[in-house]
Amino acid sequence: MTDFDVRTDARGIGIVTPKGRLNMVSAKQLRTAVAELVDAGTTKVVVDLAETTFLDSSGLGALVAGLKSARQAGGDLRIARPTQQVVTVLGLTNMDKVLRPRESVDGAFDG
Amino acid sequence: MAEPVRLTLATGVEETAVDQTHDLLQELWEQVPDVGDLDRIRVETAVAEIIGNIVRHTRRLDAPGSDSRRVQVSVWCSPDEVGAEFVDNGLPAAIDLSDVTMPDLDAESGRGLALALAAVDQLDYERSSGRNLWRLSCRRGGA
Repeated sequence: MTDFDVRTDARGIGIVTPKGRLNMVSAKQLRTAVAELVDAGTTKVVVDLAETTFLDSSGLGALVAGLKSARQAGGDLRIARPTQQVVTVLGLTNMDKVLRPRESVDGAFDG
Repeated sequence: MAEPVRLTLATGVEETAVDQTHDLLQELWEQVPDVGDLDRIRVETAVAEIIGNIVRHTRRLDAPGSDSRRVQVSVWCSPDEVGAEFVDNGLPAAIDLSDVTMPDLDAESGRGLALALAAVDQLDYERSSGRNLWRLSCRRGGA
């Protein structure tokens, strides 16, 4: 079971927080959440992974889809506060090159 | 731990099998609490990809609502290794693991088996007597 918090902060940055496993069951929800933000003009998106207990290749694919749509709209998607399992998956797939983990949600778009 | 611990579930090939498999592993970790975090992560990452692959592909030509596909998942732990086995009566997987490579960085799919192969020490697939058999294992010793 995965819940998603979606909000936009005072700077207009969208913050999506998946809670639970981000896998083949819940990846579609992440794709939808990011697509709705980008379509509404919120092209800078942070996915806060602090409460994502598990990431599989479907969840990773949803992050890539979100990254591409945000960049195509002139923005970006960044990930923050990943758990050890997520960091391991990013490393094993070499995806940490394009989805570099950030230490905080608030600072994800700094630098 | 003197004897290997082995837990098994049998269920329909449905999306719910993914969470059931995670829960089975959780039960294993509770019974064998000295398995290191990295070993748990490696095995669970690969296990999730294999059960996901089975759910996605083994019933791909079935009529909607068909529930004839079944999968048996076993997870086990010995003093030296952690592993899992999957047996299902679905369609053949039609893959050659020696050909599996990690796709480009901008690919939105196709990483599952490459990730599973990268995560554990051993991953094998065979088709035998109308069943798919997947076996994976990981030598213990991670942090």
